[in-house]
Amino acid sequence: MTKSLNKSWLFLLVTLLLLVLAACSNTTTTEESEPEKTTETGNTEEGTSEESASGGISGDLEIQYFVGGYGDAWWKEVIADFKAAYPDVNVIEHAGPNINTEMNTRWISNDPPDVVYIDGAGSSETQMIADGQLLDISDWAKGLTLEDGTPLLDSFISPAEELDGGKIYSLPLVFDTWGIWYDSAWFDAQGWEIPTDFDTWLASMKQIKEEAGIAPFNTTGQYAQYFQRGVLNPAFAAAGGEQLLNDLADGVVEAWEREEVLAVMKKVEAIVDAGLVDSGFAAYNHTQSQMNLLLHQNAYIPVGFWLPNEMKNDTPADFVYGFVPTPMNDPGKSMALIPDIRTIAIAKEADNPEAAKAFLEFIFTEEYAQKFAESTGAIMNMKNVDLSANNRVPDFLKGINDMINEPGQIEIHNRNTPEGDREKEIAVEITNEIKIQIVEILLGQIDAEEFVNRMTNKAKELRGM
Amino acid sequence: MQLDSLYPYVERVIDVVQSKTQKYLFLAFCLLPTFIMFCIFTVYPMIGGLYYSFFKWSGTSSVMEFIGFDNYTRMLSDSVILRAIINDYLFVFIKVFGIMILALFFAVALTQLRIKEAPFYRIVFFFPNIMSVVVIGILWQFIYDPNIGLVNGLLRAIGLEEWARPWLGDMTWALPSVSIPAIWAGIGLFMLLLMGGITNISKSLYEAAEIDGASEWQQFWKITVPLIWPQIKTSIIYIVITSLNGSFVLVQVMTAGGPGVATEVMGSYLYQKAFEDFQFGYGAAIGVLILVLSLVSVIILQVLLKKEKVEY
Repeated sequence: MTKSLNKSWLFLLVTLLLLVLAACSNTTTTEESEPEKTTETGNTEEGTSEESASGGISGDLEIQYFVGGYGDAWWKEVIADFKAAYPDVNVIEHAGPNINTEMNTRWISNDPPDVVYIDGAGSSETQMIADGQLLDISDWAKGLTLEDGTPLLDSFISPAEELDGGKIYSLPLVFDTWGIWYDSAWFDAQGWEIPTDFDTWLASMKQIKEEAGIAPFNTTGQYAQYFQRGVLNPAFAAAGGEQLLNDLADGVVEAWEREEVLAVMKKVEAIVDAGLVDSGFAAYNHTQSQMNLLLHQNAYIPVGFWLPNEMKNDTPADFVYGFVPTPMNDPGKSMALIPDIRTIAIAKEADNPEAAKAFLEFIFTEEYAQKFAESTGAIMNMKNVDLSANNRVPDFLKGINDMINEPGQIEIHNRNTPEGDREKEIAVEITNEIKIQIVEILLGQIDAEEFVNRMTNKAKELRGM
Repeated sequence: MQLDSLYPYVERVIDVVQSKTQKYLFLAFCLLPTFIMFCIFTVYPMIGGLYYSFFKWSGTSSVMEFIGFDNYTRMLSDSVILRAIINDYLFVFIKVFGIMILALFFAVALTQLRIKEAPFYRIVFFFPNIMSVVVIGILWQFIYDPNIGLVNGLLRAIGLEEWARPWLGDMTWALPSVSIPAIWAGIGLFMLLLMGGITNISKSLYEAAEIDGASEWQQFWKITVPLIWPQIKTSIIYIVITSLNGSFVLVQVMTAGGPGVATEVMGSYLYQKAFEDFQFGYGAAIGVLILVLSLVSVIILQVLLKKEKVEY
């Protein structure tokens, strides 16, 4: 009796242990542990064979793409078309708003998907390049041409970035940019002019403050990078060009000491001193500040192209989105646009790089650029795509697309990826510091001189000076 | 009768019924699963965190570089760390005082004042404990909203317009403003804990004190507080530990550490470094700092709050 009791205890104990170990085991295969939003399209019968009729491209092709403000309609359509063109390729999609986090363990264990669209929280192209996770596609990309024979690399609005002495690790897919948004229907009704430079912008804000009784400018204090990217960066670029923009972001001490920087910050100070900034901005996250714009509690807000898509469920029927490149430029000078590019790349450890290359080549066409503008509200990073005849593209996008393709009205300045570990770290620290100081100056706690002083000191500290 | 005094009898009964082997097997059956879970979900991540703190690692790739104590020496020159520690302890201080004073007040009121609706209030006060911290954070964000918020609305309604301000966007008021929801959400649990202690105090003690002419206030300080001191001590230590480890959630939801670094706490800074700046090793080092500070704080509190056990 005692023995059998002993045995049953032992049996229970062993079973429990096994259950615990099984639950915590990480030896399950990738196929079994794929995230919920993973879907497969197309034939699975071909398995992983690399030989087939469609140009020798076949097998599994894993694509990771973040689904945010742009939605996933474009991706679904493109992948379906790709599948039709390459019937022997079995496309496995890993998509969703948290996909970067969900796929993180795959990247850490050197078992990444083949194609990755780099966007959203938890992903950084700079970091991926520094960690050697992306395939060098320089030679292959240089040989790509569009249907009309134009080299693909020459047809980008913002060029593919070359690092490490000319190496290309990704193709710039989405052309997004920051600028100032307003309700153009409200502006028309009130007879308010759209600003074209800093003087007209300041005058416009003062007029709105007086006539509507509101603080016309708002931004999110919780994510002060909105003001950095939407106002300061275009202002620095308009004042000192691409070099100044990059030097400041990279923490070059001499750049922070230049008089153009102080002049830009004086403009910010002028906006603050005139009481034009919403007094609650520091408390707002991005959606709260955007909501205030929709409710006409403010008139101007710096955001990227995704704003209309992001706020579409809350947008009043009579609200018409208007967009202007940040008017921080001096009168007579061009407005500056800093592209915020989202790239697509192939993993260095991709199992099927040939299919991955075929996919990248497949998506860069005018047809998909049109569809991209229709379904996302942003522009695919391709020149000479005529959106004017497309009724499904929002007006603000047509306007900005025209500006981009007609040089003179605006100037495009690119923010380049800093090279080297230390430079990358300095850029991160400078961004963190600038975010802190932005809140201080917009709250009126420091003036332009103090802002510049603090940033210069930070740059000196980071550079060991 | 004290529970401890029962153990010898229970042991004797077990000895009679079961053999020693059976006893150990039974104990192992009860303890082992919990111990294994504890090792997997607490000890292993703790050691993992300590291990990663010695590396330069983005947290997103297999590339790791051993850098010894570099992450720790970096903390010494990081001004945000110092600010985060100060904010953390300010948060703890406000929370401990806020919760303990209010929880004690309500516990005494609901037990001593013989209020008819006491069970109702017990439920109402406990209610925030079953709400997610994220929901609490969002709810209070609306309450503090500069334009449509309840706080500013009330201030304006009673003619105190000049007191109205963007609470969460104000450098001075942001941290106290984040602490208030934490106090609001914490009262219920500790109130119940203290009520348990108070109801265990014999009524005869209060009757005797009353006959001797002791005022209510004297009764509170000379009878109630000494006799529920173990519960008060447990509550304070629990609030300190949970605040140092968990203040991050409320801060992240309500202010994301802002404005500037006005509400930055160690947890939110850890999150920023590890998951936004891709400096996982440095984030892990901040995690170790939180662990060390929590341990030191608890040890100091144990000494400070040590009192002889009181029995009347």
